[in-house]
Amino acid sequence: MSTVDEAAEERFSINPARVGLYLTLGGLLVFFLAPIETGVVTSLKTPDAVGTTSPLVPSVEGFTLDNYATAVSELLPGMVNSLLYAVPATILSALFGSFAAYGLTLTDWRGQIGVLLLFVAGIFIPYQAVLVPLTRLFSVLGLSTLGIWGLLGIDNAYAGIVELIITHTAYGIPICAILFRSYYKGMSEEMLESARLDGATVRRAYRRIVFPLSTPMFAVVLIYQFTQIWNDLLFALVLVQAESSAAAPVTLILAGLGASQSGTIFGLRMAGAFVAALPTLAVYVLFGEEFAKGVAT
Amino acid sequence: MARLELDDLTKVFTDDDGGEVVAVEEVSIDIADGEFLVLVGPSGCGKSTTLRMIAGLETVSDGRIRLGDRVIDDKKPQDRDIAMVFQSYALYPHMTVRGNMSFGLEESTEMPDDEIRTLVDDTAGMLGIAELLERTPTELSGGQRQRVALGRAIVREPEVFLMDEPLSNLDAKLRSEMRTELQRLQEDLDTTTVYVTHDQTEAMTMGDRIAILNDGRLQQVATPLEAYHQPANRFVAGFIGEPSMNFFDVEVQGDQLVHAPAGDTSAGEFSYPISADTRESLQATSRATLGIRPEDIEIVGAAESGRDFDTTVDVVEPMGDENNLYLGFSADSERTFVATVGGMRRVEEGQPAVARVPESAIHLFDADTGEALQNRTLRDAAATEPEL
Repeated sequence: MSTVDEAAEERFSINPARVGLYLTLGGLLVFFLAPIETGVVTSLKTPDAVGTTSPLVPSVEGFTLDNYATAVSELLPGMVNSLLYAVPATILSALFGSFAAYGLTLTDWRGQIGVLLLFVAGIFIPYQAVLVPLTRLFSVLGLSTLGIWGLLGIDNAYAGIVELIITHTAYGIPICAILFRSYYKGMSEEMLESARLDGATVRRAYRRIVFPLSTPMFAVVLIYQFTQIWNDLLFALVLVQAESSAAAPVTLILAGLGASQSGTIFGLRMAGAFVAALPTLAVYVLFGEEFAKGVAT
Repeated sequence: MARLELDDLTKVFTDDDGGEVVAVEEVSIDIADGEFLVLVGPSGCGKSTTLRMIAGLETVSDGRIRLGDRVIDDKKPQDRDIAMVFQSYALYPHMTVRGNMSFGLEESTEMPDDEIRTLVDDTAGMLGIAELLERTPTELSGGQRQRVALGRAIVREPEVFLMDEPLSNLDAKLRSEMRTELQRLQEDLDTTTVYVTHDQTEAMTMGDRIAILNDGRLQQVATPLEAYHQPANRFVAGFIGEPSMNFFDVEVQGDQLVHAPAGDTSAGEFSYPISADTRESLQATSRATLGIRPEDIEIVGAAESGRDFDTTVDVVEPMGDENNLYLGFSADSERTFVATVGGMRRVEEGQPAVARVPESAIHLFDADTGEALQNRTLRDAAATEPEL
């Protein structure tokens, strides 16, 4: 048999290992996509249709967009509230994280390692462990009792938004600092020395050199932090508490959406979940290109 | 413009285990205003550390640095009025060439924007990079980046230029071009310059004076020709010059230097007669190192005196203008030494040759300390201080 025949035979022969691989891959694909498919299909069904048809199959006669209309109108105030703290907290934690990483990586002073270890430890503090101290802290501070809310004519429940900004910023800084640190470690030391010799102070060197060169890492950190903060329910539950509050974030409202004593409206809950996820998708689309650059480095 | 004085400069690093490593030990050099001083030595000799101490990027463990009449070793780098060119160029990648060159002026002076603009334009014109001003460093070739790095230093008109192996990332041809150009620039600007390199060719060709360092200690500060012809010790003699000086361990026996390779005294291959003058300079030394530069060895027709030696040509390296001959005292000798002869001379490998070692050209070093006991005589006395 010539080698040409062998090669041809190999190309058409069925290799059991390959068959197994593709079956597994196909299975995983179905496994991961089925819930999303179910979600989409269910969100477009009337409550009756949800009860009578299979969750995976779309229903023609039971088709409705009402779920989305209701979800948007119910969730919109919550989404505005969420944006009110998610955007500032994301930007602040990224900015402070970058400052901290710069100070811990590209400058030279005693005791850096000790401070760095505190940052690393900060990442591993479980949120549950701080819930009680956190509520105690804010009740002592009493942000909602300040006269400023009355002066501005704003519901003092919005003190909860301020508390969420502070909390998420504080808890975001350690992970942001570590992410930036790994990025800054790869930066040319000679370049920064050159900036020092050029007369730039530590602050100016950050503003004119390190900060502009950090854009890809900022994209990574902004996407990561925004998703984390937007999706958080625990701090919202503890600090704002009531779904009925004027300052209730989207996750808090979503938790109660479509749930009543007469039963759960699954279509509405599914539609709500998709609507609530839209801003995180938008952030990915917005920073996607820079994100890829940042992850690659 | 100012003179730069290094006074007993010492740098001790503490490593992770708390051990101390002396990188630079009591280096004192006095660099005149407008002088081009080359710091040269093998890697790890402390030359870069010395430069970084002058720049202020490394603290000084002991000693003083004076610039003009100011003590600067306790000043911040930005307050020293010094510009540095790095081996990696260290350009700011997100700024244009103009941005890179303006940065120092914007940060360290109150100069108005239009003046900075004119100054950058002028400097770029002088370096031939005027048409690159709006590009970013990633769009430039290595040679162009090098020029931008130089321009960034020049535009600030500092008291002192520091250059840390600035040409080592360039290819050989460009390097020799830039070498000449840098020298011309430095002469025109007349700015005190300290230039670090491991390349002895750069040191020889560029420096007004060269300072040779080894193991953190200063070996010699001298003009290039002085260092070449009158090395202070064996290290300098071996480091300066290409191919290197030949060294033979010898024992002093009366008026003869008897070849006695260290650790293998039975394998002596020659004895070299010395004159009374040479004997005197050896004084009580019993063991010494005989040094002879390859170009001082003559290949003659037949042995006529005790300073002519029968050898066999082991390897011939043709360089075009000259041939480097690797000679052994016998055909199967493992130990060879180098002689340089004219490029037109036909020499075959394996052929016998008579090597003449003139006494006027030999160097003698103390075997223990390496210090020079006698350097070659200079038939032309002006060679130590060449006149142009």
